[in-house]
Amino acid sequence: MNRTPEVSLRTELLAPLRRSPRVVVRLALWSAVEALPGFAAGRLVAGAVDSGFGAGRPGVGMAYLALLGVAVFVGAWATRQVYPRLAALVEPLRDDLVRRVVTGGLHAARTAPGRPDTAGVARLTQQVEIVREAYAGITMVVRRFVFSVGGALLGMCFLEPLVLVVVLPPLLAAAGLLALMLRSTTDAQRELLLADERLAAEAGAVIGGLRDVTAAGAERWTGDRLSTAVERQALAARRVARLTADRTLVLAVGGWLPLVLLLSTASWLTGHGVTAGGLLGSVTYITQGLQPALQTLVQGLGGSGVRLAVTLRRILESTPPEPAAPAPGPAGRTHGPYGVELSKVGFAYGPGAEPVVRDLDLTIGPGEHLVVVGPSGIGKSTLAGLIAGLLRPTGGEVRLGGRPLPADPAELARHRVLIPQEAYVFTGTLDENLRYLAPDAGPGDVDRAVAAIGLEGLVERLGGHRAQIAPDALSAGERQQIALARAYLSPADLVVLDEATCHLDPVAEARAEEAFARRRGSLLVIAHRMSSALRADRVLVMDGTDAVAGSHEELLTSSALYRDLTGHWRRPAGAR
Amino acid sequence: MTTDTPAAAGRTESRNGRTESRNGRTGPRIGRTEPAIGRDADRLLLSAVRRSGGWAGLLVLAALGSVLAQVLLPAVVGSAVDSAMSGRPDDGRITTCAAVIAVFIVCEVLSDLAAGRSSAAGTAWLRRAQLAHLLTLGGRATARFDPGDLTARLIGGAADAGAAAEAAVWAALSVLPTLTSVVALWLIDPWLALTFLVGMPALVYFLRSYAQDMSALITRYQKVQGAIAAGFVEALGGMRTIAAAGTTDREAERVLRPLPELSGLGHGFWRAQTRVASQSALLAPLLDVAVLSVAGFGLAAGRVTPGEMLAASRYAALGTGLGMTAMFLGRLARARAGGGRIREVLAEPATAYGVRALPSGPGRLELRGVTVRVDGRALLDGVDLTVPGGTSLAIVGRSGTGKSLLAAVAGRLTDPHGGTVLLDGVPLPELSREELRGAIGYAFERPALLGRTVGEAIALDDVAEADRPRLSRAAAAACIDAFVERLPDGYRTDLRDVPMSGGEAQRIGLARAFAHRGRALVLDDATSSLDTVTEFEVSTALTTELAGRTRLIVAHRASTAARCDLVAWLDGGGIRRIGPHDELWALPEYRAVFRPDQPVGEDRPADEDRPADGAGPDAARPSPAEVGT
Repeated sequence: MNRTPEVSLRTELLAPLRRSPRVVVRLALWSAVEALPGFAAGRLVAGAVDSGFGAGRPGVGMAYLALLGVAVFVGAWATRQVYPRLAALVEPLRDDLVRRVVTGGLHAARTAPGRPDTAGVARLTQQVEIVREAYAGITMVVRRFVFSVGGALLGMCFLEPLVLVVVLPPLLAAAGLLALMLRSTTDAQRELLLADERLAAEAGAVIGGLRDVTAAGAERWTGDRLSTAVERQALAARRVARLTADRTLVLAVGGWLPLVLLLSTASWLTGHGVTAGGLLGSVTYITQGLQPALQTLVQGLGGSGVRLAVTLRRILESTPPEPAAPAPGPAGRTHGPYGVELSKVGFAYGPGAEPVVRDLDLTIGPGEHLVVVGPSGIGKSTLAGLIAGLLRPTGGEVRLGGRPLPADPAELARHRVLIPQEAYVFTGTLDENLRYLAPDAGPGDVDRAVAAIGLEGLVERLGGHRAQIAPDALSAGERQQIALARAYLSPADLVVLDEATCHLDPVAEARAEEAFARRRGSLLVIAHRMSSALRADRVLVMDGTDAVAGSHEELLTSSALYRDLTGHWRRPAGAR
Repeated sequence: MTTDTPAAAGRTESRNGRTESRNGRTGPRIGRTEPAIGRDADRLLLSAVRRSGGWAGLLVLAALGSVLAQVLLPAVVGSAVDSAMSGRPDDGRITTCAAVIAVFIVCEVLSDLAAGRSSAAGTAWLRRAQLAHLLTLGGRATARFDPGDLTARLIGGAADAGAAAEAAVWAALSVLPTLTSVVALWLIDPWLALTFLVGMPALVYFLRSYAQDMSALITRYQKVQGAIAAGFVEALGGMRTIAAAGTTDREAERVLRPLPELSGLGHGFWRAQTRVASQSALLAPLLDVAVLSVAGFGLAAGRVTPGEMLAASRYAALGTGLGMTAMFLGRLARARAGGGRIREVLAEPATAYGVRALPSGPGRLELRGVTVRVDGRALLDGVDLTVPGGTSLAIVGRSGTGKSLLAAVAGRLTDPHGGTVLLDGVPLPELSREELRGAIGYAFERPALLGRTVGEAIALDDVAEADRPRLSRAAAAACIDAFVERLPDGYRTDLRDVPMSGGEAQRIGLARAFAHRGRALVLDDATSSLDTVTEFEVSTALTTELAGRTRLIVAHRASTAARCDLVAWLDGGGIRRIGPHDELWALPEYRAVFRPDQPVGEDRPADEDRPADGAGPDAARPSPAEVGT
């Protein structure tokens, strides 16, 4: 919404043409051949009348028309050649856009974690297809216009050049008028498209929340706002209707005025050597060549041109070009065991926003098991993100084993592993999922990790390591267990579990946390339940203004919040 | 001509720059599959046409004029050409031709304008009518229809239906050119008409085979497209893992694996089109050549003039335009279907409100013999329950015992099939809408966040400066104040810029309920996504700051129930026990209510409005009471 990178539509629209100039040349050549019947029609009809049927020689007339038939066959054969060339222009564009939406969408989500942009799916399935369709349509319309108008004018030029004197001025006037109207037309179309989308978005939100509207008695407020959106859409539609009518008028001038002028100057033209057949041929050129071409141009460019521009711009804006590769971090890092040191670390989500983490000093010793507790929304996940290097502190520094965090994500992944609350299990084999962070792990390692987390039952039920799994068919807890086994298997020495066990039952949770505590390296657990704190070497209590670290016993005496939390926990009201 | 149809593949609908989501096209969730297109729907369309303020009338006149001029044009142009070729000054035929052209142009322009204006007016009227009705239906609308489907009816359905006048007029009139063409050809020379009538069927046949070819391709294309989209969504959902693992590019590769197949199918479209395009590039012009040849022999024999030969060629072209009729008939069918779908929504009876005001009182909430049936089964069966004014009452019970239903009935989000609900002695249906909604506030498990800003989402109204302190207090009680204050623009932050987790949305919804100034508050599982610490703080606010209000709280956790004055235990359609949590806790069956040992997501009945994916944060979470000591 607030990022609008520079987007050059022209560059993007011309890219397919530029990428394959040979295809473009062939397309142009075949299009010229395709226009042959249009080019020849008037001339051959004139010939058939003048020297054939009109002169009492039907055989000659038929010969002319047979030639026209041949031209039609040649044209149809050219049409066959044109389409594959169009496909070669348009299909790669779609491939490009799909690739761009996916890659760009994933990269954008990576740099703004926690804010997945699900609108990307609409871009992938709908908007890309709109662009593909509109691009194909426009390429076709423009091509057709250029070659049929060109063919018809050229034909007239060969048949009766004098006719061009009455045909060209209205045609050029219409072209000029259309060009003048282009701006307001596209503006109005864009306005309508946006009004449609705004209305759909607002109405969709309200319909999804009708229960809430009723419950809050907010019918009038909601209704007023939606009526405004409806009215705005209708206004835009009315403006488009007027401009459509204007365009129809211009089309009529460009297409029909030449005919009227031709007929009214006919006696003058015949006085200057134009034959009856020449007149007939010219009328054929106008009605069969110019008029349909103008019509397709006006209809085609009006709607789909704008749709193409608006939609393509939207795709490009929301999928910024790939970010530059990160600078290589300090090299030569050896594996742990190592600790984490945070010195005066601060973090805020925006320049104006209140910091989530403020001047935090914290050390996690090598091999230590630290648990973070505190109310939700207080910044526990942010802290996990900072320690894992997913977020850059806005102040202070995070050091891993005495050195700054490596900037290269792949390098970073060898030293620490972060498992978030929403476990990521993808459609693929169980083995692919388990070895996600350790592609080189041997079967023995995988088995050990599976045993440590207590996943044997699930592995068996799913049908072994090679079994194809569908994430939707697994429960949230099973997905978390797979993610935990994956983390256990990774080579990293620092494990960060960010509420990664929240869907497990307490027994499974305890088993997983204990397995990680026995594993080499340090362990940081963001607790979903207070029971996690009881298993820790040390606990960090976050409560917004400050963070206190200490052992369970120390905190019971030093932190009022911790006392409250654990007290509340251990003596639930129901079990008094 | 089909030559101009670009490869229309993965998208369902796109006209006039408007697109619709595919899932928006699914039918209503319950019952009927296809909306009946009946007389009611046509009457609705007529009302919409009447609302167009004369534009529809102008459309009829202009379109008629345009079509008449169109079928006259080949004849008058031909005769003008004959006149011009005679070498004599204009005998009036050229002037006539110019006049017909002028009429044609004027009518075309007017019909375009009238069609656009009448569609815009009709569409807007249908949308306003639908919106007004939806707002009076409230949550009952989304219980009856899928929300996406309702949006599609409002956006796509109304646009289709709004174009009814245009579609009907053109569908009726577009037959005229084809019919008159055959007649005109016959009048010029019967052989011409015969030539035309033999050539046409071949054309129609080839066009039909095209449509069949495409639909199979489209299905496969959409399937592959869906596979890519599914992988993309999967990866987006696991973005934090992917970011931490530094495997973004690897994931992109994986998601894009089906792309070559998609590309291959895309080329398949073009191949199918190549066939039909070259066929029609052949057939229509060859038909023209045939007509010209026959006309040529007529010319040689003196039966046909050069101008008539030209006219014959034009009539042959005009006659092949029957595809337009099919298109407009299709649009008319869509308009009627759209009208039927809208009519279906409007046919749902609106909630009727009374006129009474509430007496002053503590907010005593009383259910008397309340019965609610779902799919013929009485989920609540003659429930009697009284919540004394100013006290809190927890509703507990296993999944599917009708807890959410009871919460909905208590504030008249839905009306019971039998029995009454009274607030301070007044039956809820007798209260005016303002009085009722001002008296009872709600918070939900999955609140819908409406409005442009975070502040509006809490207030559900325009936010004035004076409201700020009240909103801040409500936000603080819901433990969301810190979250909001950390946003770039605080309460003025655009909602779209603040994607929220389930817990955050839930707390905004709680703040909305807390900001409500009524005497009663219904919390329908509204703290389920909060971690235990936050839930504790919210509950504390509920028992301190909101102590004066009557509170009805649907609870899944023992700790929540424990903090309420009374607990009503729902089971088997009625209230099994009512009493303080401490007393009920002695019963093993009561304790079992809080144990998550039942299968989740299998047999949840429709009344519980939670998704049945079992992935909710507390799907496998034990009650606090059991983990503690």
